[in-house]
Amino acid sequence: MSVATTEAPVPATAADKEMLISGCAAIAQALRLADLDVVTAYPIRPYDTVMQAVAKLIANGELDAEYIVASSEHDQFEIVKHASAVGARVFCGSSGVGWMYAMEAIAVTPALRLPMLALVGNRALDDPGAFGCEHNDALCVRDLGWMLTWVDHAQEALDTALIAYRVAEDPRIFLPCAIGADGAFLTHSEALVKVPSKEKVDRFLPKYNRRDKQLHPDNPITVAPQVNEDWVMEIRKQNDEAMRRARGVIQEAYADFHRIFGRQGGNPFVEEYMTDDADVILFGQGTLSMPVKVGVRKLREQGHKVGFVRLKWFRPFPTPEIQDVLRRAKAVGVIDRDYSFGSPNYGAVLYNEVRSALYDLEERPRVISFICGLGGREVTLDSVTEMSEILLKTAQTGRVEQPTYWIGVRG
Amino acid sequence: MMMTTALTVLPTQDLQPFKGVKKVRIEEYFTSGHRTCQGCESALVMKLMAKAAGPRTIILGSTGCMYVANTTYYSTSWVVPWMHTQLGASGSAAVGTAAGLKVLMRKQRIKEEPINVIAFCGDGGGADMGLSSISAALTYPEYNFLILMYDNESYANTDIQLSSMTPYGANTTFSPPGKARRILHKRWKKNVACMLAAGHPECRYVATVDASYPLEMMNRVRKALSIGGPTFIHSLDPCPKGWDYDPMQSHELGELAVETGVWPLFEVENGILKFYGKSKAIAQGRKRKPVREYLLRQGRFAHFTEEDLDYFQKKIDGMWERWLLPGIAPFRLADDIKKALAKSEAELEATS
Amino acid sequence: MTGSVEVVYRGIFQKHLGQRITRGIVLAAWKEGKVGISFGRYGDSPERNGIPAKSFAVVADNEEELQAYLSRYEPSNNDVTVAVDDTLCKGVESWAWYGLQPINKLTRAGGTVLVTSIQTPEELLKDCHRKNAEWNLAVLKGTASFSGLWVYKEDHTDVRVLGAIAKVAPHVVKIESVEAAIRGEWGDELKVGSARKAYERVEIRTVRPEEGNPEKPYEFQLPKWWEMKEALVIPGIPVRQEVRGWDGGYRPGRNPTFKKFATRTMRPVVDFEICTKCTICWLQCPDSCFDVTPTGHYDANMEACCGCGVCEAVCPVKDCITMVNERAFEDNASQFEAYQKDEAAYKAWLREKIQDKVVTSRSHGFRYRGQYQEELAQMAAEGEGPGGS
Repeated sequence: MSVATTEAPVPATAADKEMLISGCAAIAQALRLADLDVVTAYPIRPYDTVMQAVAKLIANGELDAEYIVASSEHDQFEIVKHASAVGARVFCGSSGVGWMYAMEAIAVTPALRLPMLALVGNRALDDPGAFGCEHNDALCVRDLGWMLTWVDHAQEALDTALIAYRVAEDPRIFLPCAIGADGAFLTHSEALVKVPSKEKVDRFLPKYNRRDKQLHPDNPITVAPQVNEDWVMEIRKQNDEAMRRARGVIQEAYADFHRIFGRQGGNPFVEEYMTDDADVILFGQGTLSMPVKVGVRKLREQGHKVGFVRLKWFRPFPTPEIQDVLRRAKAVGVIDRDYSFGSPNYGAVLYNEVRSALYDLEERPRVISFICGLGGREVTLDSVTEMSEILLKTAQTGRVEQPTYWIGVRG
Repeated sequence: MMMTTALTVLPTQDLQPFKGVKKVRIEEYFTSGHRTCQGCESALVMKLMAKAAGPRTIILGSTGCMYVANTTYYSTSWVVPWMHTQLGASGSAAVGTAAGLKVLMRKQRIKEEPINVIAFCGDGGGADMGLSSISAALTYPEYNFLILMYDNESYANTDIQLSSMTPYGANTTFSPPGKARRILHKRWKKNVACMLAAGHPECRYVATVDASYPLEMMNRVRKALSIGGPTFIHSLDPCPKGWDYDPMQSHELGELAVETGVWPLFEVENGILKFYGKSKAIAQGRKRKPVREYLLRQGRFAHFTEEDLDYFQKKIDGMWERWLLPGIAPFRLADDIKKALAKSEAELEATS
Repeated sequence: MTGSVEVVYRGIFQKHLGQRITRGIVLAAWKEGKVGISFGRYGDSPERNGIPAKSFAVVADNEEELQAYLSRYEPSNNDVTVAVDDTLCKGVESWAWYGLQPINKLTRAGGTVLVTSIQTPEELLKDCHRKNAEWNLAVLKGTASFSGLWVYKEDHTDVRVLGAIAKVAPHVVKIESVEAAIRGEWGDELKVGSARKAYERVEIRTVRPEEGNPEKPYEFQLPKWWEMKEALVIPGIPVRQEVRGWDGGYRPGRNPTFKKFATRTMRPVVDFEICTKCTICWLQCPDSCFDVTPTGHYDANMEACCGCGVCEAVCPVKDCITMVNERAFEDNASQFEAYQKDEAAYKAWLREKIQDKVVTSRSHGFRYRGQYQEELAQMAAEGEGPGGS
């Protein structure tokens, strides 16, 4: 399917407005530009600052959408699910256990092929009640058919929200998409953000058109009947194919985005930092990229060939890019801001995904799991140095002496 | 961009009551080929509900018999658009659908017209899991929809487990009569229609219905869809499977439920409470049939002793004889409130 | 050696009966030092009143032989297929899948279909579809035993079927072990006697491939994943079916893939002459099975009628609608068309159907407390049921 974005490149700066706003407010700006139709709010830190920003836009008449304050996260996600089924562009979100409370609605959305956009302000799962960042909340949907992406600064949050709508609402895909944004570090800190003009956004993002799947008296269909074992595998296969197609549609969307806005060039799936000649590579997602990049620069000054790769899309998982980038290294350290108790090597989620992505390579690097920054604990320069040294030693010996390390834990 | 505090409510369809069975619309919008039990009263409720609503309607169905048995994949019995929603989500499904339609009409992405939105749920979905979502839904005055709860008094689709709507003492797979405990289920059925009418001042219409009186039932659905804003209907549906009776007696049991006073038929329209049908006569003093005539027609009560039957009868008598709103609200007034009410009555008369 | 038995029964009405029979087989095989399992067809649950369902018993000499039958929904090569309601001989359609399964489809070549019925084998063969192998038809004299979920009707049908199975498939269970199992389970010599009598009196005849109902049963081809519409979307049903010459009449659109042929145990027979066109049967039918004829009559369409009997119950005109046992019918033709073609002939046909007490007397479960005891006394008086045969 072709989207109306094939004309000549537009100057990057045209009509962009710079604003000092938080990652959440940046996403609210994207929702305004996308002419959002239905949004549901329910309070939980840290994601809910996006809804506070949305409420202001609604109150000031800058955004014309049905703004519904729901009575629980489950209601919140069910309401937008059904609004999407009749053809409305929708937005929703949550954090931590709030996301878990909505999990039933979240789990059924992909099979319904509803392109819901959700913000997960990453937060540790209670108990104990904690506001700090941890990725286990968003990662709960990793197997369910949601597209899942992580952003590490406010500008990327705005840009990715627009790209996510374009991909999710593409009739070849029709899948929900969640944006992971680290609690506090991204959701609550304000930065300079280029807010593009409505005209540019309209050129990039077509209207959501559900076509023959739209629930309306003019299109009398029955949606989501009960099935038995004669049907479930075929339905799962359809979702699998949609997720496979998403990879190409994401690449298309980034290319068009770059042409129109002059940003988000380069590889849509991973960001490489000083990896060209790197012996060892640190790997992670979200805002830990900031201290890690600083640490990498310091180690480079000391002559160590250290690099960093930031994963931007977790689902679909970019296996070819991961193989292509990491195969060049001798040792890779996957930094997880999450845990997966009892998993292989007692490692974490991202670690095991990366390790299995590399398995089919003839020559593959050693891979180490670093569990770090849980519950919002800072990833410090010392931590980066510690992890890098472990990797350099591993690269030297070619042996994994200990597969998993908890970095920055007391004792 | 509209800048106003006034509520914007879309117009509803003007669905006048059917005047007599011969005036009922001939078309079916929920039709043959569903897979419910022989004599399924809930299937009849679906048929009458859709008939009453007509072609410009969207129906959302939460998990339960009317989902599983009605729409086995790759075939359907629905003529009008229908979508599944989760067990506890009927309220949210109604809000989301109504909100989506409203904004798309405002932005001229679909034609502006009144479209009926109906979300149905069983007693498990409505009175148990989904009660908070229904309660929330009834507080959004700007959306037009009807939530209809078909109450067959158990989780009938999962093997007849008791719900908060299962009558006292009934045999279910979660409350089998045993040697040590004849009566395992001792809770008394919730009064959902009354609870929702009393607690939701923005809700303009709440009614109880019984498909054994099809015309009255359909006309209440039409009223609920016409009056505007969120509305709620609670239907009592005899269930040949879970209640254990010969399917051809569904209609008769529906009548007995009303005639014994077990199931009061009432409606609350813009705050005005009315009984209707045989319940009106009962409220005005017509003798109720003994509940045993109703209970002993059902296998689920076959284990009842005389003591159990008496207990059940006394509870029903109490509903009608001691409650402030007979059969509806389990209140009685404290003396000082009686005085205060009497005083304000007097003042009203004095001023008028 | 391994043996399996499927019991085809009416959902809910015969749920406990079906389970008692398959459990009884396993308990009996146990007495012979065999192992076994008893299970219902998962897809039939939650059962629906009247809609066909199945229960299975598999017995084997050892666990290894048994494994071939474990983790399966439906054993496909059964020594015995039991139909505890003879109208199931018209075919089996679960509520959960499509297509009409002939009653003998999963019976192995040379196996036996055992039917509880008061019909003769020849009458039953008009319903049973042809099978391209030789098979046996066994008839155990008796009417269908229906009860409900909570109150069971102790008419000994369970043990009588067990006795008959021992006769038609002694390699699965022997009558002695059936008797021992009954003693162990119920400790009731009267039941033991019923099983023994059934063992002695069950009639068996061989059926050749060319015998039986020649009709090709409705089959449904499951589509490929890429042939199915995405997003779980399926088209709705059209609001009406056009019928030539039906101006002013109305036939609703209907689910094209799920008909109620196999659900029905009885059907309404309508006396169009005395019908007052009051609309109540049409309005109260949970299955919307009545077509509205151009003359304003209501014609129960056998594609849609599930035989619940509500129409008879609500009809205000005496004998205008009478429920008649399904076995009295050879086809699903329109009664109104027959009435229009030849009123006198229709009237005669109608009278013959509704005056036959054998096909109009029935029990579809619980009507009032004490009813089953009365029915059992009646059966005993007629030499049927407990102690009789």
